[in-house]
Amino acid sequence: MTSSPDAAMSEAVSDGGSPRRQQLSEAERRARFEDEVMPQVDRLFSAALRYTRDRTDAEDLVQESLVKAYRSLHQYRPGTNLRAWLYRILHTTYISMYRKAQRRPQESLQEEIDDFSFYDEVVRSGGGSAEREVLGALTADEVKQALADLPETFRLAVYLADVEGFAYKEIAEIMDTPVGTVMSRLHRGRKALQKALSTYAHERGLIQDLDDPSAGDADDHEEDA
Amino acid sequence: MRSDAANCGGNCEDALERLEAYLDGELPDTDVADIASHLAACYPCTDRASFEEQLRAMVRRDCVETAPDSLIDRIRERLADPASR
Repeated sequence: MTSSPDAAMSEAVSDGGSPRRQQLSEAERRARFEDEVMPQVDRLFSAALRYTRDRTDAEDLVQESLVKAYRSLHQYRPGTNLRAWLYRILHTTYISMYRKAQRRPQESLQEEIDDFSFYDEVVRSGGGSAEREVLGALTADEVKQALADLPETFRLAVYLADVEGFAYKEIAEIMDTPVGTVMSRLHRGRKALQKALSTYAHERGLIQDLDDPSAGDADDHEEDA
Repeated sequence: MRSDAANCGGNCEDALERLEAYLDGELPDTDVADIASHLAACYPCTDRASFEEQLRAMVRRDCVETAPDSLIDRIRERLADPASR
């Protein structure tokens, strides 16, 4: 067992005051856990799937995270952000379970990604209402795959912001990284996500590739004005 | 609020630079008013902003899952057993 992340956790998620330790009886702990934490299980499982990209691993991750949350429930200060606290535990548990031995190189996305705009591509190729139709035609599986294919740090930032609705500062605490880093991961991660979705849209002929006409479906009706 | 914000010309670049933080609800109030008034007056920027919002809504909707009952059962079992937690 690695050293407990509890100290970092309560520090990261506290809102400035000193963490008040609570004495909880076993019954109180069980009751509070059922009332406050268990209703979050679906959300945590959704997050764990984006973290691990594997159902079995996601189940293990949620289980380990909740056992940790249960053990450290006395460190959670009522009235502070419970969800941020739980996601911080999920994050540290993920790191210790799945990234312990892996020494991975600094993750990056190509420089060109900054210049990419899905919106501009869609408008260029169709204009008008085309953009709504393209978005509407993309499937949930394509969206999940596009997210899953992002490098980890970008994937997690985008997930925490766009799906969970966490603020930059909360994501910084969950991922234990400066706010500026969160902003840049979010910006580039979203661009890369859009690039992946745009690739699906091109492959399915939902948008025409103006630079390379062969990428579009030749037998689709063409609108050469 | 700047009086020229509604005139679109030259302000698009400025607005788009802050659009992401605006949509994230991370801009200070004064900037929010700036961007909002620009968006109200500039169709291309509004269209782009609503595309971005729609895309986020799509990601949010498509990534929602339900935890299997068996997982919930296993968690409760583990917590009920002092030896396993």
